[in-house]
Amino acid sequence: MPSLEACVEVHDVHKSFKRGSEVLDVLNGLNLTVNQGEFVALMGPSGSGKTTLLNLIAGLDRPTTGSIRVRGEEISSMSEGQLASWRTRSLGFVFQFYHLLPVLSAFRNVELPLLLLPLSGSQRREQVRNALDIVGLSDRMWHRPGQLSGGQQQRVGIARAIVTDPALIVADEPTGDLDAKSADEILNLLVELKNSLDKTIVMVTHDPRAAERADRLVHLEKGRLATQ
Amino acid sequence: MKFLILVFENIARNPVRTILTSLGTMMLVLVVTLVFTVLTTLDKVTTEKSANIKAIVTEKWQNPSLMPYSYAAGLSDGAADPNDPNAIHPQDSMTWGFFVGSTESNPAKRGYENLFFSFIMEAEKARTMLDNIDSLPDEQARPLIEAIKKMKEFRNGVIVGEGRLNKLKKRIGDRITVYGRNYRDVNLELEIVGTFPKETAQYTDSAVINRDFFETELDTYKAAHNNKPHPLADKTLSLVWLRVPDRISFNKMTEQILTAPSFSNPAVKCETSSTGISSFLDAYRDIIWGVRWLLAPACMAVLALVISNAISISVRERRTEFAVLKVLGFLPWQILTLVLSEALLIGTLSGLLSAALAYGVINGVWGGLPFPIAFFPKFAVPINCLWWGAAMGAVTAFAGSFIPAWSARGVRVSDVFAKVA
Repeated sequence: MPSLEACVEVHDVHKSFKRGSEVLDVLNGLNLTVNQGEFVALMGPSGSGKTTLLNLIAGLDRPTTGSIRVRGEEISSMSEGQLASWRTRSLGFVFQFYHLLPVLSAFRNVELPLLLLPLSGSQRREQVRNALDIVGLSDRMWHRPGQLSGGQQQRVGIARAIVTDPALIVADEPTGDLDAKSADEILNLLVELKNSLDKTIVMVTHDPRAAERADRLVHLEKGRLATQ
Repeated sequence: MKFLILVFENIARNPVRTILTSLGTMMLVLVVTLVFTVLTTLDKVTTEKSANIKAIVTEKWQNPSLMPYSYAAGLSDGAADPNDPNAIHPQDSMTWGFFVGSTESNPAKRGYENLFFSFIMEAEKARTMLDNIDSLPDEQARPLIEAIKKMKEFRNGVIVGEGRLNKLKKRIGDRITVYGRNYRDVNLELEIVGTFPKETAQYTDSAVINRDFFETELDTYKAAHNNKPHPLADKTLSLVWLRVPDRISFNKMTEQILTAPSFSNPAVKCETSSTGISSFLDAYRDIIWGVRWLLAPACMAVLALVISNAISISVRERRTEFAVLKVLGFLPWQILTLVLSEALLIGTLSGLLSAALAYGVINGVWGGLPFPIAFFPKFAVPINCLWWGAAMGAVTAFAGSFIPAWSARGVRVSDVFAKVA
């Protein structure tokens, strides 16, 4: 069971985008709390605002109004530099299309976030090996993404997300580009991360089977929470 | 340092593009290196010195200068009044005439390959007064010193540059007949006694013949032509070189020469060698200006564009990667530095390699850049080209990649992963 300490607190968040002269309101006064160690799935139709919400929680964008706190830190008021540093230390991001750097081996891809931290070469190597061990890819660490299957690439993506030991992992349709078997493996891995490492996971998905693996399902509709 | 692996991996991402960019850079750096080689050498010889000055005395109103040989003795002593204890005497001197001819007897077959260009001078002055040879250590000048000894033994001896020997297909010890072109009907039977030190590429196409031998040949001509001297017999002195320790001595000696009544008909002028060479190069002034201010900057601008184009393509292809890096926490300046570093690495290494190849191949294989201008048939690529080649590659790479790098820096994560979902 997840602990009851709040990890993510989204309070009265509005987000609008300008498209020419038109203002598009994507999130309208949204409130959401995700507890430490909780696995939350965000679902909703296209245009409901779930990826926008994910980007706000990940500090990739700022709300028009409202506040977002992650483990007590008010990220919506952080500067660009503070946000970048916060992302390195406190956040792991898993992309739908993996977004590994094709010229780098699995090891180097996983090592990328560690380059931004004051760690020695041996410390970096140890952390990368641990992360690749967790996702079961120690034997493929010197393979480039092109030499790995989709499921393996996503596991490298997850290793990159956890290598700095962040409290929060956000995943944007992590199984959207995978076959059913690989998708299942990835979901098992996310659940394992939550259970054994007490990671908080916020996952956007269109797949009801993926959503079933989460502790809680949150539906968004027209920028508001429909059900929790 | 830990980011270097990223830089290297990105450069290796598209080897064809990297190699083409590198080759383009090398080619343009090579062109600018060659241009700079000529310009820096000319700059060096036309820069006024404050000590160890070489002065040139030439005819004042006529170019080419053709003074009577009777001027030689007085001018070689700086026109110093023997009764004046304060008169300035040059430390060393050298007289020059020019004998141009061909080793081909048939005028219809005469061309560059059988051309013979020589200085008529005192052979021993080749060691002490010729530019660049005068500063060589004895070890390097040894072959020339030996050749000068032989010229004292064989009055018809000639020292011929390596390049000219090759063109004439002759070796040391061979005899040649040279048919005079400026001294028409004066044909010289010469014996090749040596060559110039290989470190002095500027003399590779030149030769040195004995002054007294040449004057004797003019006497022979006179005897063979009913005692009628050659039309140029009294005009064999083109230049007199004088070495003085400093500018004060130079000014005083110049005054001595210009006020001496013995050198008034024809009148002479005295200038530093750098001024003299500058005057000579005046004829090439426009082309040198164009090379310096149009060709070289144009090459560098093209080089910057080549690099800019390659980096722009690379940045466009990698927008998503830059966004991913930002998600991972990379700051904009770190992405800017990453892209600039890639360009700088390609530019610097290509520039250095190009300059090193230019230095090694042009100097080592060709004995200098063959670009005949003034008295310089060849220009040695200076060792400095190694750093200026690398610097040129680096500067143009920086200039060319800055805008693409700035654009990479500004990639917005929310735009790249834009989904209003």
